Parts: sequence; C-alpha cells; structure tokens
Amino acid sequence: MTETAIEAAALGKRFGRRRKRALDGCAFQLPAGRICAVVGPNGAGKSTLLSLAAGLLHPSDGTITVLGQAPAAAREQVAYVAQDKPLHPQLTVADTLRFGRELNQRRWDDRVAERIVAEGDLDPDAKIRTLSGGQRTRVALALALGKRPELLLLDEPMADLDPLARHQLMATLMADAAERGTTVVMSSHVVAELEGACDHLLLLGAGRVRLAGPLDDLLAAHRLVTGRADAGLDPHTVVESRTTGRQLTALVRPEGPLDDTWQSTVPTLEELVLAHLRAPEAPALRLDSVPEAAV
Amino acid sequence: MTATLTATGTTPAGTTPRGPRGLVWSVLRVHRTALVLWGLALTAATAGLIWMYVIADEARRAYLPCSEPVAADGYPSCSSLDAITADDYYSTGIALLTSALTFAIFPVAAWAGGALIGRELESGTALLAWTQSVSPVRWLAAKLAVPAVLLAAGTGALVLLNRWAQTDGNPNVVGDWYGPDVFVGIGPAAVGYVLAGLALGALAGLLVRRTLPAAGAGFASSLVLYLVLDHFRKDLWPKADRSQAGELELPRSAWQVDWNATWGRYPGEGTPRFTSATFHPRSHFWPLQLVETGILLAVAATATLAAFWLLRRRTP
Repeated sequence: MTETAIEAAALGKRFGRRRKRALDGCAFQLPAGRICAVVGPNGAGKSTLLSLAAGLLHPSDGTITVLGQAPAAAREQVAYVAQDKPLHPQLTVADTLRFGRELNQRRWDDRVAERIVAEGDLDPDAKIRTLSGGQRTRVALALALGKRPELLLLDEPMADLDPLARHQLMATLMADAAERGTTVVMSSHVVAELEGACDHLLLLGAGRVRLAGPLDDLLAAHRLVTGRADAGLDPHTVVESRTTGRQLTALVRPEGPLDDTWQSTVPTLEELVLAHLRAPEAPALRLDSVPEAAV
Repeated sequence: MTATLTATGTTPAGTTPRGPRGLVWSVLRVHRTALVLWGLALTAATAGLIWMYVIADEARRAYLPCSEPVAADGYPSCSSLDAITADDYYSTGIALLTSALTFAIFPVAAWAGGALIGRELESGTALLAWTQSVSPVRWLAAKLAVPAVLLAAGTGALVLLNRWAQTDGNPNVVGDWYGPDVFVGIGPAAVGYVLAGLALGALAGLLVRRTLPAAGAGFASSLVLYLVLDHFRKDLWPKADRSQAGELELPRSAWQVDWNATWGRYPGEGTPRFTSATFHPRSHFWPLQLVETGILLAVAATATLAAFWLLRRRTP
C-alpha cells in the first residue's frame, strides 16, 4: 500500500482570472490510513481541495498527488461524496447501487452498499427524488463505500443527518475504515462531530494551510493558558488571546517551559480550531512533513 | 470505441451477465424516458408508414384520368374518383412523416443540450459518474455513442420505410423531391441531421452547463444549421443549364433554380425570343443528398471534437 495518501505542494486554484484564489500555495502531506478532518470557515477552500484530490479540477498552480499518482489516474481507488450529494433523481435506490456496480466493475462490493442502505430502512424500489436529504446522504455514502476505496473523500458528509443517523453512519464509516485501512478525508464545520473520530487535522483559512499534522501532535504543541492580564507571554507564540477584566485567556504555542504564573491545559480540538478561526492572522503550523516512522 | 465502452473486467458473482453493461447500461437507464419516447415515436412512425403503403394504390387511383359523363373509352367516372378519400390521408400522412424526419434535428439537439449533458453538469451527477472508475472522456464517449447509434439506426430505418411507402414517388401525391420539407426526409441527409443535432446539442450543453439555456442553445444552433443548408442546398452541386429560342418548358421532375426570358419589343406578350433556365434534374438528387450528408457529418464530427476538447481542458 502507498504510504502517502495525499501530498500537495504549492497547490493553488483560481476560478476565473479576476476572482481571488480559492486555494493558494497549499502544502501538506497526509499519510495513508489516517482519518483526516479538513476544517475551516466557509470559503476557506475545503471543497476545492477535495475536488482537486478527486480529479475533478485541474490545479492552477502546484501539484497534488493521490496514492502516489495523479488524481485522474487514481480514480478507481478514490471515492468522493460531494457536498450536495448529487444522485440521479429518477433512479430507484436499487438502480443507484447498480449504477455504482456497473461503473466500478473491478471493485464493487454489493454487500457493503446494501448493508448501509438496509440500515437506514430504505426501500430499494423508492425513487431517489422521494427521499429526504438524510436518506440521500445515506445512499451517496453507500455508493462511495460500495466502491471499496483506498481513499474516501467526504465533503460535509453529515450536514443533513439527524443526530442518531449521524452517529450510526459515522460508526459504520469508522468501523469500515479501520477494518480495511481506508484513508478518510472529511470536511466539516461542525467540529464536535469530528472529535474522537479523527486522528489528523488540516485547518484551512483563506485558501492556505493554517494547521496540518497528526491531531495529537498538534494538540500537544498548544496550551490553553489563563492568568493575569498584565503578565507577559514572551517568548511563546500567541495564537489568540482574550481579556476579561484582569484575567487573560490565551491559546499559545509554548517555545519552552511555561511560567508558573500561568494555569495551563491541553486544548480540546474545538478550542484549538476555534482559536485559529478567530485569529486568522496567527502563523501557520505544519507538523506533517516529518517522515512517518510509525507507518 | 465499443470495446472501451462496454467496460471489460471480471463480472462479479451474483450479477446478471445479460443485457448492456457498464456505461452503456448507465446511459440507457439514466435516459430511460427519452429511450421510451424514441421507441414510441419509431413505433408510431413505422405503423403510420405501413398504413401509408397499404393505401398507396388506392390513393393513386384518385389521380387517374376520368370522364364525366362516363364515356365509352373506359375511364372511370369523375364522381367515383372524387369519392376516394385515401389520397387525402395518404398525402397528409406522407407529408407529416417526411416533415417529422426533416425536423427531428430540433428536439434531438434540445434534448442533447438539456437532458443529456446540461442537466448532468448543472445537478452535479456528471461528477458522480467521473468519481466512479470512469474518466470524463469515456463518460462523454458513451453519452454520445449510445444515442448516436439509436438515432442513426431509427432515422435510417424510417427513411427506408418512407421511400418504400412512397412507392413510385408520384410528385402529385407525395410532393416534389426538392421541396424543403420533402428533400431531407427521403434520403441519408435525415441521418446526418439528427447526428449533427446530437453533437451540436452536446457541445451546447458542455459550453453552457445549465439545462434550459443549453437546450435553447442546442435548438438555436441546429436551427441556424438547418436554415443555412436549406438556403444553400441548390448550390451544393453544379446546376444544369438549358437555353433555347422561343419558349422553354422544364419537366416536372426538374428543380428550377433560375429562369430568364428575353422578349422582343413588347415584354410579356407573345412568345419570348429566347429562354434560359438553370435547374437541377432529378438525377441530381443523390449528389445533392450525399454532399449535404457529408457536410452534416463534418459538422457533427467538428462539434464532437470541440466537445471532447472542452471536456479535456476542463477536467484532468
């Protein structure tokens, strides 16, 4: 198996000459077998990045390789679920699954796809246009997983699912990925739904990589500190700080041992992401370029 | 082409090996409504043309010479011929079906632009296909090849049936061969028109990427093609000239393009001194048909290449 699932170098994408870049100089590396969360505010370039990885767009600058090949060459090993979950409305659920089987003749597994559909109590003869948004998501995910991909790209997969279905589908997805060693890349702005599921993080802001790396390493590189507002935080890198009265709360990247005057905790994923979203000018941090010894 | 379309590979257990597979299946299934409509149209037209063939002799009897009152020379009475209604049905039926073959390009182009390509790009279902194990180029190849085969086969069969139902092609009954609504429907140009419509529609769909505007653009481009060819049809093959002193009468079967008479002192009175005519004799039917078909196939090929070029440029 290829060791790197996605590798991007100086990746840029511009839609039309006059518009600003959707992606600008993105560089990151995602080892295979990871569950990677792609987070960022609206318009940060999450969907563009996933489309580039799925081989649907040409990059304007730089390169992106998927499973060691150009994205267009890796089409067979990659599954992609777009944000609006496009499906043919006039097809039945069963025909939609047959669509997947006919167009993925070398990889398709009926049992996987049918199980996901059956778990949602979907009638195989129901037309796609009669399904609710959440049911459509389920069919789209069944189509993606039935392909038995090595890399699964999901753009806002859980947005229109109820909490129960979200929980259940996420569990199915994670079990399947763990069993087969699938790399999953999932974009979302609901950070809570990623916590506990992901072990890799890619935070995008304004088309650039803000944070990239294994989640544990990223969390360990940050501290959430509280202390008196007049105390100095040098020489640490302050990502974001807020003062309430005389108390200061800050997310910092310690450049050495922290002063005893500070109460410090390791931030949660949500705190890490929110602090970076609130402070778009904070410096980027990449912890993914180190060679992966563990793989 | 067909080898790459009916995707090879091992057939997974538990699937039906019969019937179309792969992309061909997906094109037929996704556009099943269009397929059913095309089948119904073909069936109706075939039934209509067979009926026309059945009443063809009866219709021609209405054009026999007659006499009133019935003379001894054996001609039927004119009132008995007037009572024949088959000629009305026949002429109307043949005209209707021939016109339908002529104008089939318009719905085909609108469908190709709107439903075949434009809607898939607008709703994102094209992306769904491209993220299966199918490249955009193979997807477009199947999208064009499957309808092209069905349209060409159906239209070709109807043209042959139409020529068969027209029996002797008597222009009093079925119209003159060079009539704008007749010419296309009785020769291979009809196949060229639907194929050009398909390619132009597909190109419009890829350019516009939205259902209704693409259907409109496909219709408009095919209308321009139709009008241009209709206007320049007479120039597609060298015309014949004939001039002589006095009056000149061309046979009924000739397509008169130009006619000039030189008169003596009093124009329009008596017989002209000299008459010249430019025309296409009946024997020019096939050269004209083949040149027009060639042009249409060239348009179809160019539009298809442009569509592939556009898709290649846009997708990796």
